[in-house]
Amino acid sequence: MFFLFWFEMVSIAEKLANATVGVAGLGGLGSVVAECLLRSGIGKLIIADFDVVDKSNLNRQRYFADQVGKLKVEAAKENLLRINPKAVIESYNQKITAENVPQIFAEATIVAECLDEVQQKQILVETILTRTGKAIVSASGIAGFGNSNSIETKWISDKLIVCGDFESGIDNNKIVTAGRVGIVACHQANAIFELIINGKT
Amino acid sequence: MAVLKINGKENFFDGLLPATLSELLIELKVDATTVVAEVDGEIIEREKFGSFNLKEGQSIELVRFVPGG
Repeated sequence: MFFLFWFEMVSIAEKLANATVGVAGLGGLGSVVAECLLRSGIGKLIIADFDVVDKSNLNRQRYFADQVGKLKVEAAKENLLRINPKAVIESYNQKITAENVPQIFAEATIVAECLDEVQQKQILVETILTRTGKAIVSASGIAGFGNSNSIETKWISDKLIVCGDFESGIDNNKIVTAGRVGIVACHQANAIFELIINGKT
Repeated sequence: MAVLKINGKENFFDGLLPATLSELLIELKVDATTVVAEVDGEIIEREKFGSFNLKEGQSIELVRFVPGG
């Protein structure tokens, strides 16, 4: 019994260690997704963002007060390497475009869409699905607080998974809180584990 | 009556179906720039929404993004 359990653990750890996952956007979603993936032993992370850490980000994004003003890719890499100094992290300080997506995430088999603007989300998801064979785990509807159980993971296919409540945008003067955006990010990370462990990549 | 399956639910149209994906989105009052569309398992690029003809019985997934991340 114990032996079987041990065997399963080793096999899961191996699958995670052999995986390369991309994280596009390092805000309330991406900074959490990257941390979950790294702590669980993903072999390599490719992170991309073009922004700098702002004081207003600290209520939900995984940065520290002394990192305000730093590039998010640099601050995120710093923090992830503090968790595991041996982690393999490739970073790109670039805004996502249809042209650079296939090149930035070339090595990844799964990409987490953690972007802020709707048009950027659309471009990334469409490009991954039509120009690469990769899976994308996207997010839609993260704002507000409470109502945790309205957040779900929608498995449209093994290549397209969307997490969120599908309606709470930041456009309706809704605040963004660590709890709710964190739940969506953990849904994304959990779907990524499911894809990898079940061999869907 | 014509039927399209949209996000898992059957939608009935009186008379004619919307001719294209673009027309369907207009009818649903959804901004095409916020959507990724899959028809019968195939992703349709946004550029082609206007030329993608709809047929009775198709199964359409519309993933609509709202801002925030």
